[in-house]
Amino acid sequence: MIQVRDVRKVFNTGRPNEFVAIDGVSLTIEAHRTTVLKGPSGSGKTTLLSLLGCMARPTSGRISLLEREITSLPERFLTDIRRRSFGFIFQQFNLIKGITALENVMVPAYPTGERYSSLKRRAMELLELFNVGAKAASKVEWLSGGEAQRVAIARALVNDPMVVIADEPTAHLDTRLSREFMEIMGTLKANGKTLIMASHDPIVHESSVVDGVVEMRDGRLV
Amino acid sequence: MFLHPAILSLVVGSALVSLMLVHACIVGARILSRWDLQNGSELQLSLERRTYLVSTIMTYALGFQLLSLFLFIYTVDHLAVLFVGAMCAAGSLNANSWGYPTLILKIINFLLAGLWLILNYTDNRGYDYPLIRLKYGLLLLITPLVAVETALQSAYFMGLEPNVITSCCGTLFTSDSGGVTSGITALRHLPVEAAFYSSLLLTLALGVRFYRTGRGLAPFTLMNGAVLVSSVLALMSFVSLYIYELPTHHCPFCILHGEYGHVGYPLYISILAGALFGFGMAAIAPFRKRASLAAVVPRVQKGLTFMALGFHGVNFFIVIAVASFSNLILH
Repeated sequence: MIQVRDVRKVFNTGRPNEFVAIDGVSLTIEAHRTTVLKGPSGSGKTTLLSLLGCMARPTSGRISLLEREITSLPERFLTDIRRRSFGFIFQQFNLIKGITALENVMVPAYPTGERYSSLKRRAMELLELFNVGAKAASKVEWLSGGEAQRVAIARALVNDPMVVIADEPTAHLDTRLSREFMEIMGTLKANGKTLIMASHDPIVHESSVVDGVVEMRDGRLV
Repeated sequence: MFLHPAILSLVVGSALVSLMLVHACIVGARILSRWDLQNGSELQLSLERRTYLVSTIMTYALGFQLLSLFLFIYTVDHLAVLFVGAMCAAGSLNANSWGYPTLILKIINFLLAGLWLILNYTDNRGYDYPLIRLKYGLLLLITPLVAVETALQSAYFMGLEPNVITSCCGTLFTSDSGGVTSGITALRHLPVEAAFYSSLLLTLALGVRFYRTGRGLAPFTLMNGAVLVSSVLALMSFVSLYIYELPTHHCPFCILHGEYGHVGYPLYISILAGALFGFGMAAIAPFRKRASLAAVVPRVQKGLTFMALGFHGVNFFIVIAVASFSNLILH
């Protein structure tokens, strides 16, 4: 589904503080499977996730999504692909404070121009699915860590993406919540989603939901 | 050189546009020689990123280039008071030998800059940079022309001497003055009027047909060219007479003055913009067969046709209005 060909990502190219975050990585991500990127801090997991999710462009190399080369796409096309193909769950959840859980879930779908009423209904259904429907009207700063993460998962799914990308999703969760999170991931996988996660948490990469573990160190595959 | 704010704006603006174009050409030359979308090399990816920057810079630079034509005309028109014998831009432009060449080059560059902006707009809507080579090839053509225009314009402004005796438009645009303008002013009004109205009405009809059905591109394009020529002829042959209400005054510049309601500006804008949108619509037509532009080109063409029809319509109604409300009766 996603093919990565000899990708490099260099920050501050040509400067004294040049840093090679990804160095010649090639890999294939299969559709409807769960792939985990595993490695220590600074190994390039998050950078690779951001390249896979079209949030950053590589310095060299190409990435294809469903046989379509996406690294050369002009930004206006990339935005659309990012919006429709990928759902993101961030390490810090990145929910927008000051607005409600429901509004947070709806935000990524606003640019699609969908009718407000149908979008609101869909967002509520997602919150209900993850047992946080009762918190829909609550501002996100009032939510517990587990609730905030469920809202973040609902937000990632609001545009019905093919691929869900999660960066260190269990970093701020205790063991029970981490296992709960993996159960939710199992449900998403059963519903046909492709899951890509970056984690060094054994609960994640030892989970039965995971089909493949890609180990990284110093920007390369091990 | 006069330290007039508009002159300084034009000289500095043109110099900046030229510098930006030279920078764009350096990138463009690398794109023309090294562009390979199949390649994932660092150079290719850096060219892909750089083309966004160049495209954005050029949009503003060439946007200024479009406006600078009218700023130039406005400026030279306002300088007329400084020259003995000059009554309008015609006299100012004649104050030294660089005035008219600058104006002609500015008109050519107006059309080329407009075409580039239309190509760039279309290219930005294709997912695989479909017109990138054409776009930068055209930029390599435009850059020397804009550089020459900058040099001519600077030579013109720097060579202006106050109180120089120049020619009045009354002597420049008469049938006895010799040259192309005398030939145009000597034309009989009725055939020119017939050619102008018939070409404009036919173009509007062909444009509406193309807009609605997508058919008749070639005749519509040809007629856009015909309208440009016939409008310029009409302006100097009979439209100016109706505006001035004088049977012998053919000057194409006095119509810019406030006493004639500045009618020259909308008239020139409608003539040039109508031609530009019409030519732009035709320029992108060959690319509708490219997969990434198959849906884009017809949509952009519709928009350009709509704009061309709008400006042709404005041109038509201004001429009808001045002819209807004029106290001069030519026939």
